[in-house]
Amino acid sequence: MSERLGAAAPLAPTAGKEAGGLSAKGLSAGTVGLIGAVVIGISCIAPAYTLTAALGPTVSEVGFQVPAIILIGFIPMLLVAFGYRELNRQMPDSGTSFTWAARAFGPWVGWMAGWGLIAATILVLSNLAGIAVEFLFLLIDQIAGSPGTIAELAFNPFINVAVCLLFMLGATLISYRDMQTTQKLQYVLVTFQVLVLVIFSVAAFVHVAQGNAFDASPVELSWFNPFAVGSFTAVVAGLSLSIFIFWGWDVTLTMNEETKDPEKTPGRAATLTVITIVVLYLLISVSLLAYAGTGVEGLGLGNEDIQANVFFFLSGPILGPLAFLVSLAVLTSSASSLQSTFVSPARTLLAMGHYGALPPRFADVSPRFFTPGFATIVSAIIASVFYAIMRFVNENVLWDTITTLGLMICFYYGITAFACVWYFRKQWFDSARSFFFTLLFPLVGGLILAALFVITLVESMDPDYGSGTEWFGLGSVFVLGVGIIGLGLVIMIWQAIKRPAYFRGETLSLDAPASLRRARR
Amino acid sequence: MSGRIVVGYTATEAGADAVALGARLAAASGSTLDIVVVLPGEDRSVITPPDASYDRYLNEQATAWLQEATASIPDAVPTSTNVRYADSFAEGLVAAAEEFGASHIVVGAANGGLRGRHRLGSVATELLHSSHVPVVLAPEGSRRIEPATGVTRITAAIGTRPGAHALLDEATSLAADTGAELRLLSLVTVDLPASVDTGVIRIAGAAHADQVLAQARAGLPGNGDTEVIVGRGDSIEDAVSHLSWEPGEVAIVGSSRLAQPRRLFLGSTAAKMLHELPVPMIVVPRTRAAEGESQ
Repeated sequence: MSERLGAAAPLAPTAGKEAGGLSAKGLSAGTVGLIGAVVIGISCIAPAYTLTAALGPTVSEVGFQVPAIILIGFIPMLLVAFGYRELNRQMPDSGTSFTWAARAFGPWVGWMAGWGLIAATILVLSNLAGIAVEFLFLLIDQIAGSPGTIAELAFNPFINVAVCLLFMLGATLISYRDMQTTQKLQYVLVTFQVLVLVIFSVAAFVHVAQGNAFDASPVELSWFNPFAVGSFTAVVAGLSLSIFIFWGWDVTLTMNEETKDPEKTPGRAATLTVITIVVLYLLISVSLLAYAGTGVEGLGLGNEDIQANVFFFLSGPILGPLAFLVSLAVLTSSASSLQSTFVSPARTLLAMGHYGALPPRFADVSPRFFTPGFATIVSAIIASVFYAIMRFVNENVLWDTITTLGLMICFYYGITAFACVWYFRKQWFDSARSFFFTLLFPLVGGLILAALFVITLVESMDPDYGSGTEWFGLGSVFVLGVGIIGLGLVIMIWQAIKRPAYFRGETLSLDAPASLRRARR
Repeated sequence: MSGRIVVGYTATEAGADAVALGARLAAASGSTLDIVVVLPGEDRSVITPPDASYDRYLNEQATAWLQEATASIPDAVPTSTNVRYADSFAEGLVAAAEEFGASHIVVGAANGGLRGRHRLGSVATELLHSSHVPVVLAPEGSRRIEPATGVTRITAAIGTRPGAHALLDEATSLAADTGAELRLLSLVTVDLPASVDTGVIRIAGAAHADQVLAQARAGLPGNGDTEVIVGRGDSIEDAVSHLSWEPGEVAIVGSSRLAQPRRLFLGSTAAKMLHELPVPMIVVPRTRAAEGESQ
C-alpha cells in the first residue's frame, strides 16, 4: 500500500447536513439478468463444498432424517431473507447487517451484528480452504493412480497447514486484485458442479439397485419426516447445521437495484436457485444415505472418521475411475466460493471503518484494484492464523468450524431479522404486504434463529456435543462460540474508548421510517 | 490551440506523475485537462455478488481522489474530472479520449520504475496497442518537476521507416503549440542488427541518417531553429544515455511498423529508448486520424 498518496478515504461525516444518515449517492448498476443471478447464487452457496462439509455432521445429529432437516432448515432462512430484502431496499449499504442493526438498535448491537458476520465468514474461509486442501491431494492421488498414499499427506498437519496457507494467499491475491473469470467460464463451472453432483447420486443409486452398495438402506418416507428424529435437541442441532447449507442464497433475493428488472428478477432468481439447490441436496443426501447407511463403521455416514468430509471418502467407491470429477467439482466450487465469500467480511469491515466503528484504515480502497484492500488482507490473515492454530490444537477442526459457523450465522441473522422488525415498526400496519414482510416473517425467522442459537449454545457445553472435542471441561463448539462473541465485546469496548463518535450515534443514527399511510392523509 | 488532454489517473505515485505531466503539457499548449479515473465495469463481476452500494462507495472514493488530484494543478489550466466505467483502464481511457476528441492520453509509469525512468506497465502496454491518439508516458518522478518548467524542447526520433510523416507532423504542431524548440534525432546508425559489420556500412548508415534528417528538416516550416543530431553508441540504450536532455524536454517516437493503421504499438527501438529515457515519451500512431474523424 506504499502507492497511496495519503488519499483520505471518504469517512462518514460526523457533523453537518449529511451526518448520521447513510452515505449514498451516484449511479447504480442494473446489469444482472436472471441466469446471471442464479449462477451467482449457486456459486455463492457452492453446493458441492457445502454438502461434503455439512452432510456428515448433520447425519451424526439426525441420522436418516437429513432430507427432512434440509427441507425445514430452509424455512428460517427464507423468513429472514424476506427481512433482508426489505432492509436492503430501504437502506442499501455494503455494511448490510452491521449498518441495519445499528440503524435499528443503535451502535452497540450494530457492532456485534457486524462482528458476527465477520466471524462467520472468517470461519467459513478457513473451513473452505481446509476442504480444498484435502480435495487437492485427493485429486492428485486419483490422477497419479496411487491409491491413498498421496491423499494421506493431506492429514499431516504441517503439510496441511502449509498448503492451506498457500491457498489462502492465492485467494487473497485474487480478491485483492479483483480478478474475475469470464462469465462463460463461470457458467461452465457452475453447470459442471451441478452435473457432477447429479452423476454422483445417480451412480450411488445404481450401486444400490445392483446390490453392491456399502450398506444398502431402502429409501423410506420417514426420512422426510422431522418428527421421526425422536429428539428435539437433535432436530435443533441439525437445523443449526442446515442454516449453513442455505447460507449465501439470500444474495439472489437481495439483489435489487443490481438486476436488470428489480421487480421480477430477484424473486425469480431466488426461486430458481433454491429449487435447484434443494433438489440437489435431497438427491445427494437420499442417494448417499441409501448407499452407505448411517453405520459407524467403514463408509457408513455415522462413522466419525469420515464425517467432516464425506465426498472425500465416498467418491472413490461410488464413482470408481471417475471419482476425480467429484474432487474437481468440490475444488472449483470451493475456489469460487472462497472468492465470493472474501467479499463479504471485507465489505463489512470497510463499512465499519467508514462509519468509524473501526480504525479508518479499514475504509481504504486500493487505488489500483478498487477493492477494500486493507480489510481483505486483514480478513485473510485472521482466517489463516485461526485455521493454523485450530489445525494443531484440534483434529476435528473442520467439523467444529462448521458447527460454530452455524451458531454464528444464527447470531447475526437473528439480529438482522429483529433489526428489520424493529426498524419498520411504524410501517407494520401500512399494508398487508408490510405486515407480512416487515413484521411477521422476519419476526418468526428471528425467533427460530434465536432459539436455535440459545439451545445450540447450551447443548454445546456438553463435551460430547458435535465432534466430541473437549476444552476446559466444555464442548469445543461452546468455547469457540463464546470466545468469538467475548472477543468481539472486548474489541468493541476498546474501540468505543478509542473512537467514541460512532458509539455516540454521530455517524450512524437510530432511525425508523414513518408510516406512509399517515403521511398520505 | 484549444485541444484536450486526457489523463489516466489512479491515486498512486504513477497517477500523480501523469497528472503533473498532463498539467504541464496543458499549460504549455493551452489545452483543457480531462482527468479520468476508470472504475471496473459493472458487468465484469461474475463470481462476487454485485453490490450497488459498494459501487456508490467506490464512486464517492474516486471523486475524492480526483479532488486531491486537481489540488496540485495550476489554476490557469481548465480541468474537468471524470469517473468512467470500463472493463479495463486502457479501454476506459481510449473511450474517454474519443468522446472528448482529445489530442493526447497521458499515463504514468507502472510502479517500481527507477527514479526518472520509464517502466512500461500492463496498462501502458494495453494502451499502446489500442489508442489511436498519441500516448504520453510519464516517467517515475514527473510529479516533482515544477509545472512552470513548461515544455522547453521536443526531440523527435526519426527512423527510415514509414510513419515518419505522422511523427514529424505531431512534433512540429506540438512544438508550435508549446513554443518549444525542436530537435531531430536519428538512431539509424545504432539501430542495426549486431551481426552487421561496422565500418563501411556504419559510415554509409551515418550518411543515410544525415540525408533523412536533412530531408525532414527541409520539410519543416520555419526550420531555422531546428537542431539535428545523430545518436552514436554501441547500443540504442548507450546512445540515448549519452545525449543531453533538458528537464522540460519531451521525446517523440513513432509507433511500430507492426501496429495496425492508426493504432499504436511500441517498436523495439522505442522500447529500448524507453529504458534509458529520463524525459516523457510520446508515442505517435503510424498514421494519424484526420481532424474530426470519428472512429
